[in-house]
Amino acid sequence: MGLPFDIAYVFTFIPKLASTLLLTLGIVAGSLGSGLLFGLIAALPRLYRIPVLEQIAVAYASFFRGTPILIQLFLIYYGLPELLKMVHIDITRLPVLVFVILTYGLHTGAFVSETIRGAILAVDRGQVEAAYALGMTGPQAFLRVAAPQALAIAVPVLANQTLALLKETSLAFTLGVMELSGKAQSLARITQHFLEAYLALALIYLAVAFVLEKLLLALERRLLRHERPEETAGRFRLLKGLTLRRPASEMRGGAPS
Amino acid sequence: MSLDPSFVWEALLKLLEALPTTLAITAVSVGCGFLAGTAIALVRVWRVPVLHRLASAWVTVIRGTPMLVHLLVIYAGLTLIVDTVTGRLGLGWNSARIPMIGFAYLSFSVTASAYCSEVIRSGLLAVDRGQREAALSLGMTTMQTLRRIIFPQALAASVPNLTNFVIGMLHGSTLAFVVSVVDINAKAEIVASTNWKFFEAYLAAAILFWGMTILLERAGGAIERRISRYRKGGVA
Repeated sequence: MGLPFDIAYVFTFIPKLASTLLLTLGIVAGSLGSGLLFGLIAALPRLYRIPVLEQIAVAYASFFRGTPILIQLFLIYYGLPELLKMVHIDITRLPVLVFVILTYGLHTGAFVSETIRGAILAVDRGQVEAAYALGMTGPQAFLRVAAPQALAIAVPVLANQTLALLKETSLAFTLGVMELSGKAQSLARITQHFLEAYLALALIYLAVAFVLEKLLLALERRLLRHERPEETAGRFRLLKGLTLRRPASEMRGGAPS
Repeated sequence: MSLDPSFVWEALLKLLEALPTTLAITAVSVGCGFLAGTAIALVRVWRVPVLHRLASAWVTVIRGTPMLVHLLVIYAGLTLIVDTVTGRLGLGWNSARIPMIGFAYLSFSVTASAYCSEVIRSGLLAVDRGQREAALSLGMTTMQTLRRIIFPQALAASVPNLTNFVIGMLHGSTLAFVVSVVDINAKAEIVASTNWKFFEAYLAAAILFWGMTILLERAGGAIERRISRYRKGGVA
C-alpha cells in the first residue's frame, strides 16, 4: 500500500495540518469550558448530599467514566436527536461540532466532578466548621474557605485532564469533523503517503502537548502562588502517600488516551 | 424511527460475539504493556546510563501523542517496512498476510508500555529507600530484593492506578476498528447500520462497557482492601 517513503512529505504536511489546529484547539477549549461547568454542577449535589440529585450525579459520573469516549460520541450523536424528538424538539439540523463538543464536555465533566469532589473532601472539615463558627453563610464558606484550598489539589489534576482531552479529540474524525487527525487521514489517502502524514500528525500533537503542558504549569504556579511551597510541589510529593491529598491526585492516573 | 427497547437486548446478544476480541486486545496490551512498562520503569528508577534517557524520551513521545496516532503510524510504518523488505528479498509474501489484529496488539502494547511504566515508576518511588537497603544488607541479591521486597510493596501502592490503566486500555481497545478489527465497537456499528437502529446498538455497547468497567473497579477495590489489610501501621 502507498508510495515509497519520502521524508520531504512530512515537512510539507505539517503546515497543511497546522491549518486545522485551530479547530482541534477550539474543540478542546469548548469541551473544557462545558466540562468544568458540568463537573461543578455534578459535584455539588454529592458534596451537599442532596437526595435524588446526588444519585443522578453519581450515575452520570459513573456512566461517562465507565464507557469509552468513542461509544459516547456515537451515542450522543445518534441518540440525543431521537430522545429530543419524543418531546418534539428537532436538533437534527445542528452542526456536528455541537454534538462533538457536548460529548467531550459531558465526558470531561464526569472526570472533573470526581476531581472537584475529591479536592473538596480533602480540605479539613475543621476549616469549614471554623468558617461557620465565624458566621459565614454556606456559599461564603464554600467560596472563601473550601474552594481556594481545594484549588491547590484540583489544579494539577485538571491540567492532566486537559492534556488527556487534547489527545482524545483525535477521535472526533469518526463523526466526520476535519480536525487534525481527520485531515491527516484524508491527506494520507489523497497523496498515498500514509506514514509521512501520520508522522507529521504525531509531531504536531507532540508539539501542542508540550506547549500546552508548559502553559498549564505556568497557570498552575500563578493560581497557586499563595500556597506554601511544599504544597505546590504536590504532583510528585503526592505519590509518596501518607497524605490526605492522595486520592485526588491519583484520579485518572495511568489511564491512556 | 423511534426508540425500540427490545432491540437493545437483541443488540446486546449480538455484541457478545465480539466480546472475546475486545477482551483479547485488552489482555494482550495490558500484559505486554505491563512487562515493557516494568522494564522502562526500572531503567528510569535505576538511572541506567543512556538507556534511561531513551526510556524517558519514549514515555514523553508516547504520552504526548494520541493512541489513535500510535495505531496509524504503526500500521502504515510496519506495512511499508515489511513490504519493502520482502520485496527486496523476493520472499514472495507481503504485509497483507499479517493478521489485522496483530497491528492492534502491537500498537496498543506500545501505548500501554508508556502509561504502565509511569504507574509502576510511581509505585517504585513510593517504596521507602530503607526497605531496599535493609534487604541488601541482609545479603539478598538485587533480583531477590526486587522480587521479595520492592515489587510487592510497589504493586500494592499502585493498585488504584493499575485499575485505571486497565480500564483505560479496555476503553482504548475500541480504536481497533481503525484497522478493521471487529471488536464490540465495530460490531455495534455493523448491528446499527444493518438494522438502521443506531441509538439502540450503541446503547447496548455502552451498557456492556459500563458493566465491564464497574466489574474492573470492584475487582480493583477488592484487591486494594485485601492488600491494605497488612499495610496498617502500629504494633498490633
